[in-house]
Amino acid sequence: MKRIQNYAPEGFIALDNSALIYPPTEAVFNANTFRVSMDFSFSIKKAILEQALHDLLYRCSYAKIRLHTGFFWYYLSPNDADPIVHKEGSYPSGRFAFKENNGYLFKVLYSEHRIALECFHALTDGSGAMAYLKLLIERYCHHAGMPQVEFSGGLNYRVRPAKQEFSDPFQHLYDKQIPSYPAISKAYHRKGNGPFDDRVKVISATIATDQIKKRAKQRSLTIGEYLSTVYLYSLQRLQLEEVPNQKQRKPIRLSVPMNLRRIFGYDTMRNFTLFAVVGIEPALGFYEFDEIATEVHLQMAQAQSKKRLLSQIKRNVSGERNPFIRFAPTALKNPLFKLLSDFLGDDQYSGVITNLGYVALPPQLESQVVRCDFHLSPGLLNKISLAVIGYLDRIVVNFNSFYATDTSLERLFCTFLVEDGIQVEIATNREDTR
Amino acid sequence: MAYCVRCGVKLSSGTKTCPLCGTEVQLPPGMEETSSDPLFAKELPPEGTHGITKARKGLIELIIALFAVSEITVGLSLFFSDALAYGFIPLFCIAMATVSLVSIVLAKPRYVHHASWQSLIVALLLLGLDGADFVWSWSLIAVGGIVIFWMYGVFPWSRWAKKHVKGGIALSVLSTVFYLALINLVVSGALTWFLPVAVPTLLALLLGTLLFFLWFSNRKGNRIPIADIVLGSMVVLFSSSAVFDGSLARYQTGAISLRWASSLLVTALVILLFMVAVSLSLRLRRYFTSHNRHD
Repeated sequence: MKRIQNYAPEGFIALDNSALIYPPTEAVFNANTFRVSMDFSFSIKKAILEQALHDLLYRCSYAKIRLHTGFFWYYLSPNDADPIVHKEGSYPSGRFAFKENNGYLFKVLYSEHRIALECFHALTDGSGAMAYLKLLIERYCHHAGMPQVEFSGGLNYRVRPAKQEFSDPFQHLYDKQIPSYPAISKAYHRKGNGPFDDRVKVISATIATDQIKKRAKQRSLTIGEYLSTVYLYSLQRLQLEEVPNQKQRKPIRLSVPMNLRRIFGYDTMRNFTLFAVVGIEPALGFYEFDEIATEVHLQMAQAQSKKRLLSQIKRNVSGERNPFIRFAPTALKNPLFKLLSDFLGDDQYSGVITNLGYVALPPQLESQVVRCDFHLSPGLLNKISLAVIGYLDRIVVNFNSFYATDTSLERLFCTFLVEDGIQVEIATNREDTR
Repeated sequence: MAYCVRCGVKLSSGTKTCPLCGTEVQLPPGMEETSSDPLFAKELPPEGTHGITKARKGLIELIIALFAVSEITVGLSLFFSDALAYGFIPLFCIAMATVSLVSIVLAKPRYVHHASWQSLIVALLLLGLDGADFVWSWSLIAVGGIVIFWMYGVFPWSRWAKKHVKGGIALSVLSTVFYLALINLVVSGALTWFLPVAVPTLLALLLGTLLFFLWFSNRKGNRIPIADIVLGSMVVLFSSSAVFDGSLARYQTGAISLRWASSLLVTALVILLFMVAVSLSLRLRRYFTSHNRHD
């Protein structure tokens, strides 16, 4: 086999701009983690997975890193410890225990039929994690003696990594002359019913792609926009019960992470995501579903405008470059970043819906993959997050929630889909249902 | 594969209730479903840690960061002005303020917890300020006062005191006795006025309260009128004041006599007579109260 002339990062590695916020804000109810996984019809062997993980780190040496707390900033440095393959537990996307993982910022998990990759957000975003998972599965299949498997649009094991893979595009795109993106008002946050704890309870809704595509097309929406509309509509109905006085109803907004790789044409494996904020103003009156659909469609189109994105990048990067922030000790910076993450993040939206898009499977694996999943850790303010992934002819919408018993949002969402003529199949890790 | 009759969603095989609405799955008689693989492995259920939240963690870090900055700043300014010898008090005060703020963030959101922690921290602060030279004087009286505040203002709301009412009252009375003895010891160096003045006054106060309590609790009905409580308290306070005045006069002059409290004693006797008369005579009671309340 051809040896790869690889380069390994050395010494001090700075976090990328959007990763800066994750280590200081990391807490029990704000894990800043996500998980991508694939279920197969064959059994998973730990020893083979360890070999595959070794290969993954050999190809992507920039992921062989650990997180440190510096005097001024958190930073990354090469990690010489052996990576660990973990057995999967009952709850995904919990708080990341770095020590139990030998300091790595991602975790490979397995169960009888599943390979999962859980990431701390400071390493990469959803698309980056999916690229890692694809390479891991390719290497697993290789070591398991299966026919050669190659995912489209993934990392090539035999090609030397390009320097761009571990570059921070935000720094390239920063333009001092552009005005900063304005902050927006506080959004509605559900109070929810009953207790909550830090275990992530999942309700997984599996939907046939052709059915949802048909419904979305009728309204000239993409699947992501349709799901965002259903989410907003469900939140509006919950707000209607919680806040009877129309004037007191705060705006309902969703944070929709956008993959900037396609928009700006970068192939980085680090975080390269910004958030589109789409929403409605229920203080003006009740929005019918089609009205929300129109709003979402327009706002998504606006949010994807390069000019607006560059303005957001200017705001984020100029914060990092501000000398007062740059030379403040980490101990002072941490509380400030926590406040910033609330003011510029969680406060401004009522929920998160992240769509990883369609995962194209290689023909050899189409009959072997049983399901794909994507999970995003919820936060303390928005205790439910939605993560969407598509594969073969299905779409999986995972509701990740801290609520122990409250499933009203999930129910409103799924029953709307059923009433709209879409068949929904439900599975869960909640204990009292089986 | 079953469907939820309320939500209309398809449920994975073997599901007993709908995860969305909790409706039980009803299968036709004689039909059984095999369980499909669970969404996640079941053998490793991690417990919820109920740990510290993001906002709390941030606040604590902010407090500790401010503590470090203030200690360094004050320490350096004292050092450069050659006043480091007097540095204990400001540095100690900053440290205790930090502990107080951290305890506000960490303590359970209950009055008893917060008040107890703050009382303890203030007591330690006072002891620390007074005891920089390892000799304690005025702080003992101040700390005793905090203990008395805690006994009367915090302790009655604790679960233990609510469960053991009599024990709680006994502890409060005992703490008062000890506090008075402590004041006497700290101020005079020996028990001088404590036995001849404080003990009789306290006994009069206790005895009066006990008698009124027995009188009121043996009445018909559970409700004690507010007027009775106010008048009874006045009697107890005025007569105890008279005992205090008499015992103080005896301690100072050697002769038992009433000086300023004679009018109080007379007032207490008049109120007591009035209360007894109202209690015994139905006509009087009707005259002073509404017609249908105390029959």
